[in-house]
Amino acid sequence: MSKIICSAAIRGAYKIIERAEKKYGEALEKWGPDKEVGFPNTAYYLPIIYGILGIPVSRLGDMKQVLDKCRSLLPPPVSDKVWLPYLAPALESGMATFFAEEIIEAIRYLEEPDFYTKQEDPAGSNIWLGAADDIILRKRGVEFVDGTAPGFAAILGAPPTKEIAVKIAQELQEKNLYVFMCSDNNGVRMSEQLLEAGVQIGWPTRLVSFGPDYTATVFAMGFATRAAMSFGGIKPGDFHGNLIYNKNRIFAFALPMGPVSDEWYANAAGAINWGFPVIADTPIPEILPTGICTYEHVVSNVPHDQIVQRAVEVRGLKVTVSKIDIPVAYGPAFEGERIRKEDLYLECGGGKTKGVELTVSRDMDAVEDGQVEMVGPDLDQMKEGSRLPFAMLVEVAGRQMQEDFEPILERQIHHLVNYAQGIMHIGQRSIMWLRVGKAAVEKGFRLKDLGKIMHAKYHQDFGAIVDKVQVKIYTDEAKVDEVMDMARKVYAARDKRVEGMTDESEDIFYSCTLCQSFAPSHVCIITPERTGMCGAYNWLDGKASYEINPTGPNQPIVKGECIDPVLGKWKGTDEFIFKASRQKVSTASAYSLVHDPMTACGCFECIATILPLCNGVMIVNRDYLGMTPCGMKFTTLAGMVGGGQVTPGFLGVSKHYIASRKFLLAEGGLKRVVWMPQMLKKELEAKLKSRGEEFGIPNLFDMIADDTKGTTEEEILPFLEETGHPALTMESIL
Amino acid sequence: MALEIPKVSYSGKIKEIVLGKGDKALTVGGETSYPFYLFEGQMSLKPRIAMEVYDSTPEDWPPAALEPFADVVSDPAAWAKKCVDTYGAEMIALQLVSTDPNGENRSAEEAAAVTKKVVEAVDVPIIIWGCNNAEKDTEVLRKIAEDCAGRNLMIGPVTEANYKQIGAVAIGYEHTVIASTPIDINLAKQLNILLGNLGVPDGRILIDPTTGSLGYGLEYCYSVMERIRMAALTQEDERLQFPMVCNLGKEVWKTKEAKQSREEAPKLGDPVKRGVLMEAATAQLLLLAGADILIMRHPEAIGLIKDMLNDLLAA
Amino acid sequence: MALSGIEIFKKLPKTNCGECGVPTCLAFAMKLATGQAELVACPYVSDDVRAAIDEASAPPIRPLTIGTGDRAVKLGGETVMFRHEKRFENPPGLALVLSDTMDDSVVNEKLSKFKDLEFERVGLILRPQMLALKGESGDAGKFAAFVKRVVDQIDAGIILMSDKPEVMAEALKICKDKKPLIYAATRDTAEAMGNLAKEVACPLAVKGSGLDEVMAITDKLLGMGLKDLVIDSQPVNVKKALEDQVVIRRSALVKKVKQLGFPTITFPGQLTDNKMKETLIASLLIAKYAGIIVISEMEGHNVFPLLLDSLNIYTDPQRPMAVEEKVYEIGGPREDSPILITSNFSLTYFIVSGEVESSRVPAWLLIKDTEGLSVLTAWAAGKFAADTVAMFVKKCGIADRVKHRKLVIPGYLAGMSGELEEELPDWQILVGPREAAHLPAYLKQWSAA
Repeated sequence: MSKIICSAAIRGAYKIIERAEKKYGEALEKWGPDKEVGFPNTAYYLPIIYGILGIPVSRLGDMKQVLDKCRSLLPPPVSDKVWLPYLAPALESGMATFFAEEIIEAIRYLEEPDFYTKQEDPAGSNIWLGAADDIILRKRGVEFVDGTAPGFAAILGAPPTKEIAVKIAQELQEKNLYVFMCSDNNGVRMSEQLLEAGVQIGWPTRLVSFGPDYTATVFAMGFATRAAMSFGGIKPGDFHGNLIYNKNRIFAFALPMGPVSDEWYANAAGAINWGFPVIADTPIPEILPTGICTYEHVVSNVPHDQIVQRAVEVRGLKVTVSKIDIPVAYGPAFEGERIRKEDLYLECGGGKTKGVELTVSRDMDAVEDGQVEMVGPDLDQMKEGSRLPFAMLVEVAGRQMQEDFEPILERQIHHLVNYAQGIMHIGQRSIMWLRVGKAAVEKGFRLKDLGKIMHAKYHQDFGAIVDKVQVKIYTDEAKVDEVMDMARKVYAARDKRVEGMTDESEDIFYSCTLCQSFAPSHVCIITPERTGMCGAYNWLDGKASYEINPTGPNQPIVKGECIDPVLGKWKGTDEFIFKASRQKVSTASAYSLVHDPMTACGCFECIATILPLCNGVMIVNRDYLGMTPCGMKFTTLAGMVGGGQVTPGFLGVSKHYIASRKFLLAEGGLKRVVWMPQMLKKELEAKLKSRGEEFGIPNLFDMIADDTKGTTEEEILPFLEETGHPALTMESIL
Repeated sequence: MALEIPKVSYSGKIKEIVLGKGDKALTVGGETSYPFYLFEGQMSLKPRIAMEVYDSTPEDWPPAALEPFADVVSDPAAWAKKCVDTYGAEMIALQLVSTDPNGENRSAEEAAAVTKKVVEAVDVPIIIWGCNNAEKDTEVLRKIAEDCAGRNLMIGPVTEANYKQIGAVAIGYEHTVIASTPIDINLAKQLNILLGNLGVPDGRILIDPTTGSLGYGLEYCYSVMERIRMAALTQEDERLQFPMVCNLGKEVWKTKEAKQSREEAPKLGDPVKRGVLMEAATAQLLLLAGADILIMRHPEAIGLIKDMLNDLLAA
Repeated sequence: MALSGIEIFKKLPKTNCGECGVPTCLAFAMKLATGQAELVACPYVSDDVRAAIDEASAPPIRPLTIGTGDRAVKLGGETVMFRHEKRFENPPGLALVLSDTMDDSVVNEKLSKFKDLEFERVGLILRPQMLALKGESGDAGKFAAFVKRVVDQIDAGIILMSDKPEVMAEALKICKDKKPLIYAATRDTAEAMGNLAKEVACPLAVKGSGLDEVMAITDKLLGMGLKDLVIDSQPVNVKKALEDQVVIRRSALVKKVKQLGFPTITFPGQLTDNKMKETLIASLLIAKYAGIIVISEMEGHNVFPLLLDSLNIYTDPQRPMAVEEKVYEIGGPREDSPILITSNFSLTYFIVSGEVESSRVPAWLLIKDTEGLSVLTAWAAGKFAADTVAMFVKKCGIADRVKHRKLVIPGYLAGMSGELEEELPDWQILVGPREAAHLPAYLKQWSAA
C-alpha cells in the first residue's frame, strides 16, 4: 500500500481520535456516564461499533472502552525511516476512525438535538438528515438486497461546479445508486450545490445529505453495517462476516471530491475494510492490486466525466437495462415471423449481399458501454425494396468474460434480433440473412436499433459475464469487407480451438442434468471431445452456462484421476454421476456402449447400438423413420433406452460425437461403425472421411453400409464382406 | 416365522418452519421418514390445513363449494373469521385472484388493504397467495410485506422471476417465502439455493412444487414431491429439506367434474359428496407424497382429512 | 437381479429368424428385458436357457389374473416402490361387496348401479371391475344360489368370500370357470382351501392377522405347490394398513421374501363406518400398493374419484397419456368461433379445454397427434412441426365449418408462426398466450373480423 496514503491515513486517525476523546471528556463532565446516548430510533446502537465490536453503546460511559479500543488499534505514526508494508495498520486506523466518528456524532445528537432533521427529507433550511432510522433502513435496505439499488456512492467534498455536481448525481441515479453526501471541499458542499441547481434532495430521490462534517461518513458506513445485520443475519461483533457481506453484496464506493486531507484518508482507509474502493478526482497515489476490495482499492485523478463509469467498473457493479428503447414491439412472440417479398423493405446477406455478424471480446478500456456506431446508409436513406451489404460487430468486455464465450454470445444474435417485430433473421456468421419489413420501417425502426437490442439483451441475459457492450453496424461496403476479413480469421481461430481441445487437455468437464425432469437418474457428461447427446450442448456451452447460471443444470466436474482411459472413466465423473443421479447410477463410461454406457435422456440426436452378426455398431438418427438392421426403428429404440436408464449395448449420441476421436473408443471407434442412414452419412461425410484417413483406412467411409445397401443385418453383411470392413475382423463386440 | 421389516435408513431431516406469530403460531416439518412411515421414523409435527379466503366474490364456484360461505363471500375478513370461528381453521390462505392483470387487475394498495383487514380479523397463521403473475405479485406482495411487517405471513408464489424482490422484503419485514417451481425437482432445489444466497434464512422457506388436481396432472406433482422428499431424506440433498405447500382447493374446484350438477352428470352421483371427495382424495394423495401444508376449500373435505391425519398419526 | 437386454441376447439363438414376431434376436431380447414380450414366443431356446432366464426375470411380486375375458383383472407384477422409478404395472381391482344375506331387491339395485359406473377418459374405459360375494349366511346352498344369480347377471371379476371350505366348494362349482379369487385360507383352513384352489386352478387369498401369520400360511401353501396367492393381513387401523402394505411391497422387492411376494387384498370398510372416509382410505390404498380394494358402497361420487386416483397413480410416468386427434367442440362453437390448436398430451388437452370452457367463449379445439408429448417437447421432437400441423388442419375439415381463417397457436410456439403461414397460405396464424390460464382473457377479446 502506498506509503503516502498510509502515513496520511494514520495521521488522520490520530487527529480524529483525539477529537473524539476531547468531545467525550467534555460530555462526561457535563452529563455524567449514565446519560443515554445514541442515534434516533434504532435497535442497533452506534451501528459500526455494535456491528464490528459487538459493544452496545447506550450510555456515555460505554464510550470509554470503545475509545480505549481505538487507541489500541492505532499504530505508531509512520516514520520516514521505516519501509514496511502498511496495509494492515492503515486499515486498522481506518476502523478506529469510524468508531471515533460515531462517538463524535452521537455526542453531537446530545449537544445539538436539532442539528439533523431526523426524517427522510430536508426540513426548511436544515438540509442535514443525519443517521437513517430503522424504518428508513428497512425500506431502503430491501432495495439493496433485491438489487433495485445495488449500492451507494459515498461522496466527500464537492466537485468544482454545481453543473458537474448535478451531472455526477444524475449519472449515479441512472445507475440506481444512492448518493450519500458529507464534508466539504473548501467550504463548498455537494448537497448545497444540488439545491442551488434546483435538484431535490432527500431519501426519496436517493440524494442523501447526511451531514456537513467529514464525520458524517459514518452514517453511510453505519447504514451498510446495519444492512448486513438486518438482512444478512450477521451477528453483532461478527466483524468478519459483516465486512464480507458488504464486500460481496453492497456495491458501494467512496468518491472524494477535492483535495484529500489526512482525515479523508483515514475515512477512505476505513471504507476499504468494507470492500468499498476509493475513486478520487485528484492526483493522489493509487493502490491497484486487488485483495481487500474485489478489484482495485484506490484509483485517482479520474476526470469528472468518467468518474461514475470508472467507479462502477472498479466496484464490479453490473449495469441493468430494463427497457429496450426501440420503436417496434419486442418479445418471443415475434420470433417466428416471416417477412414476405411483398412486405420487404430492406434485405441484407442471405446470399443476396455480403452479410456478416461477429461478437468479440475486448479490453475494458476499449469498449464504451452502450455506444452504437453506424457507418453507411441506414433505413431512412434507402428506398423500399433495396439491398445493402451488412456487418454487425458486437464488442463486449467484462471482468468475467472469456474468449471462449464469444461464439456462445454470437449465436444468440439470431433469436435476439428475431424478437423484434417486423425483423426476420436467419443463419449466423457470414451466412446470416436479415430482412426488415415495411411496417417496422414505418414505425421508425432503423438498423441502428439492432445495436440497442444487442446492448440491452446482452446485459439482461448475460450480465454475469458481460460488463460493457458496444456495437458497430456497417452498411458501407469497405467497412463490411473489413469486418468480414476479421470474422474469417476469428472463425478459423475458434474452429481450431475447438478442434484442438482434448479430454486429456482439460481438467474440468461439465454435467448436464437438464432432462432430469422426465429422466430422473440421467446425468450427461460433456467433455471437450464428447458433446452432450442432444447435440445442443458442447463443452464450451457447458462452461458458459455455468458462468451465467452457477446453480443451474450445467455444473463443472473436476475429472480427477483417470480410472480407465479407453472406457473413459474418471474418479471425479463417477462421484458426480453417483450424486447427481441420486445414487441410482454409480459409474459411466464416456467412450463405451457396452461397458457401463451413459444413461440416455430422450433428447439424443442419434442412437448407437450393436449389430452382433456384423460384429459392429449401427447408428440411427432421429430424422430417419425407416427400419434399421437391429430390427427396431428409431422410435422403438428411443422408447427402450430413454428415461435415464442404463442400457448396455445402446447409447444416445450426438452427431458431432460420431466424428470425435473419442467416439466409442472402447469398441474400436469409427472402425466399428457398419451402418447408418444415408442422410446421416452424407451430413457427416467430410468429418468421417478425415477420421478414416487418421485411422489409416482412407476408404472407411465407403465401407459403412446405409439404407440403400440394406436394412437388415443379413442384407448388409455381404456388402461389408465385399468392402472388407474392418469390424468383421475385430475382436467380438460382445 | 417372524418377519424382519426391511427399514430405510434416513440420513436427512426436514427443517422445522414456524408459521405465523404469537399464541396461534404453528410449526411444520421435522419429518425423519417418508410420510406416515412411523414404523421407521418420526413425524411429530402434523401437516396443517389452511382454509381458503378470496379477495373478491367468487363467480364460478359450484353450489357445493359456495354454500358453506354463502353469507361471507363478499367480505374477506368475515370469511376468514367464519373459517376460524365456525370451521375451526388452524390457518387461512388469502388468495389474491383479483390482482391478476388478465382479470380485475386490482392494485397493490387495494390488495394490501384487504390483507390488512384479514390479518386483523383472525390470529391464526396466514398464507398470502398472489395471482401467479411474477411482476404483479412482486408489486402486491412487497406492499403487503411492508404493511404487515413482523407478522410472519407466508407469501408466495415466489418464483425465479421475482425471488430477489420478494425475498428481500421477506427478510426485511420478517415473513416466510413460498418458493414455487413448475413440477421439477432441480428447479425447486435451484430456487432454494438462490433464496439462501440472497439471505433468506432457512427457517423461512417453504416449497411449492406446483399442484394439480386429481385427474388433472396430479400424478406429476405426486412424483415430483416423492422425489423431493426422497432426495431430502435419503440423499443428503440439504437444499430440498423444506416443508411443502400444496394449493389444491382451487385446482380441484375448477375442474369440470367438481362443478357439474346432478343433471349435467347423472352418473357422477351426489354433486356435493363428489366435490368433497375429489378435494379430499387429492389432499390425501398429496399428503402421502409429502405435503406439510394443504390449502383447501370445503369444510367437509377438511374434516375428512383431519380425521385421516389423526388415524395415520395415532400414537 | 433382472437381466439386461444384452445379457438375455447372449443366451438367445442369434439367428434373427423372426418367428417370435420381432425381426431380430436383439430386438426380442430388449422386449424381454422390458417386459414387453414373453420367452415362450421363441421356439428355439433350450430348456436350460429358458429356466435361467425365467429364474432371473421372475417377478418378485407374483403376477396373476382374476376372472376371464374382457373383465379379467390383472394383479401383481410390480417392480418398484415409487412410480417415478419405472411405473406401477397393474391398477388395483375395485370390488363391491354383496352378501347372500341381502334382499334380492337391494342386490339388484346395487348391481344395476355397478353396471352403470363406466366413464370414458383419454380413450380408456374406467370402471370398477370386481364383485366380492360374501357367504354371510354360512349356508352352502344359499351362497351357491346367490353366486349363480349374480354371475348370471353380470360379467365381473369375482371374489368368493367364505371361511368355510365346504361353502366355498359349492360356490366354486358354480363359477370356477370364471377364475374367481377364493377368499380366504386362514391358519385353520389353509390345507382345505389350498386343495380346493388347486383343484379348480383358481387364485387363493390368504387371511392372517398380521404379517407373521400371513407368512406362515403362504409358506404352507407354497409348499403345497400353489402359486397364485393374494394377501390380506387384517390390519386393525389405517396406520397399520399403510404400514403392512409398505412392508409387504418392500420385503418382496428388496429382501425377496417369497412368502410376501403376492398382491394384496384390502377392506377399507373394516376400518370405518363412515362411507366418505372409507373412500379416502381406499384412495390411500390405491397409492400405497393395494392389489384389490373391496368397498361397501359404490356410487358415482365415490367411485369416480377412486378411478381417477388409480388412473393418475398408474399412468406410466415415461409414457404420457394421449387423447384422440380430432376437432373438439367446446361450448357449441359456430362459424365465427375461434379455432385453437394444441398437442394431444392428455394434460394439455384437459387444461386447455378446461380454460376454454371456463371462458364461456365457444371454440373449436384442434388436437393434433403428438404421441402424447406436450407442446414444447412435441415441437422439439418434430411432432408439432409446421408441415404436419398444416396437414392436420387441412384434413380435419375445420375449414368447412367456419367462415374465418384464423388459427391460434400456443404462445410458446410463436417461433413457428411464419413457417406455418407459408404452409397454410389461406390462414392467418395468431399467437395465443403462453399459459392456458390466460386463455379466457385472450378469447374474450378475440374476434373473427
